[in-house]
Amino acid sequence: MIQFTHVFKRYPGGFDALRNINLQIRQGEMVFITGHSGAGKSTLLKLITAIERPTRGEAVVNGKNLLRLPRRRIPYFRREIGVVFQDHKLLFDRTVFDNVALPLIVTGADPHEVPRRVRAALEIVGLLSKEKMYPVTLSGGEQQRVGIARAVVNKPPLLLADEPTGNLDAALSDEILDIFSDFHQHGVTVLIATHDWHLINRARQRVIELKQAELVSDSGAAA
Amino acid sequence: MIKNYLLRHAQVFFYSLGQLTRTPVATFLTVAVIGITLALPASLYVAIENVQRLASGWEDNGQISLYLKQDVPGAAIEKLADKIRRLPAVSRVDYVSREAALAEFKRLSGFGEALDALDRNPLPAVLVVHPAAAHAHPDKLQALLKDLRRYNEVDIAQVDLDWVRRLHAMLELARQGVLILAAGLAIAVLLIIGNTIRLAVLNRRDEIEITKLIGGTNAFIRRPFLYTGTLQGLLGALLAWLLVGLGLLLLVDPINNLAGLYGSRFEAENLGILATLTLIGSGGVLGWLGSRLAVGRHLRAIEPH
Repeated sequence: MIQFTHVFKRYPGGFDALRNINLQIRQGEMVFITGHSGAGKSTLLKLITAIERPTRGEAVVNGKNLLRLPRRRIPYFRREIGVVFQDHKLLFDRTVFDNVALPLIVTGADPHEVPRRVRAALEIVGLLSKEKMYPVTLSGGEQQRVGIARAVVNKPPLLLADEPTGNLDAALSDEILDIFSDFHQHGVTVLIATHDWHLINRARQRVIELKQAELVSDSGAAA
Repeated sequence: MIKNYLLRHAQVFFYSLGQLTRTPVATFLTVAVIGITLALPASLYVAIENVQRLASGWEDNGQISLYLKQDVPGAAIEKLADKIRRLPAVSRVDYVSREAALAEFKRLSGFGEALDALDRNPLPAVLVVHPAAAHAHPDKLQALLKDLRRYNEVDIAQVDLDWVRRLHAMLELARQGVLILAAGLAIAVLLIIGNTIRLAVLNRRDEIEITKLIGGTNAFIRRPFLYTGTLQGLLGALLAWLLVGLGLLLLVDPINNLAGLYGSRFEAENLGILATLTLIGSGGVLGWLGSRLAVGRHLRAIEPH
């Protein structure tokens, strides 16, 4: 699903965000990426979602070589990946329903199918009763769950989350983790960047640690 | 599949329409500026069209006036008139005797009493020659004129068409001027719409960024802005059409009054169907083009980071 070979990312000005990353994540795995702020977690996610391009090395995601992916193919590439953002990135002038429906609208899904699929996604995250509300009226944890519903409404094979529990207390974090674990059990590849060790310890899954732009440990490195 | 495609376009159309009604003041201002900008060349076009229509009525009456020498007796004039009537190029000859000319001049000029002071009639007799329809072309008129000048009795032969032709040349010049003006104002409309759309794009920066992150293509993101720009252009053109109509409505009475003074039944006409469609169509095309240029430029600048 994700295959990085000697990947480097250097930003203009000479700052190395990632150095010589070798990484393989197979379909159906659930993996945590951890490390201090600035260790390269976010950069790694940006490479996987084609927000940034690698400077050197080979990076293949969903069978696409990120170095050679044409710009006009990027939207279609991103439709295969569900992303949960730390700051949720919801649209505040639209209802919960409309926010979750956005990926379906963008991909031109059958309009008759949209309500059913949106409600299915909202049901998974337990927000079915709030579909007509606006994001501002929701708590932080609820907003995060709207973000998760939006990330999975298209049933992508790969789910990424950047600090999904960053601003939440322990109980809410556990709830969010349970939702991700549920997707993992249904065959979705899940990749979570976090520095929340409570979460990592509770999940008991493969952990990759980044330190100063390098991969320093991988609890489940593929042979 | 096609049905879904059309349905999506319809959704975007109504969404864009909704966006416009949600900011009525801004929408009105943009539409008003576009309307006034388009109304300017449109109304000039209407004015030129009307003058040209009026003048084309005169051109058909292209006639030659033969001013005869003072000492030619009445009988000789009748004979000359008959001779000219038999020319194939001539359809009709009117004889205005010296006395009739004087009477008409007194009636129309308002100098009647001053003329009474003269001891003799200073006006020449005139033969007004109407060419046959087949000979109304300016070149043929010139040939006829040359023939008529050969008669001894003729003092001055004059085509009354020259000034009509000059008027037409002037109208042609004005028409070209309107075209150039319209081209300049079209660029102004492009800039107005481009700027409106630029602001709309910047206002919805977050939305565009998020849409890009979840796999929205540029075409998808562009679509509502293109509809917005096109709608504004169309509404502006519609307003321009109304403004031209309103202006004409205000001028109807003075025009009828003026035409009445000249004994004419002339009535000013509004833009024809073709011109109206051209106006509305240009509004739509300019709106689409202006928003396309603005969105294309600013969309590239908004990338998720």
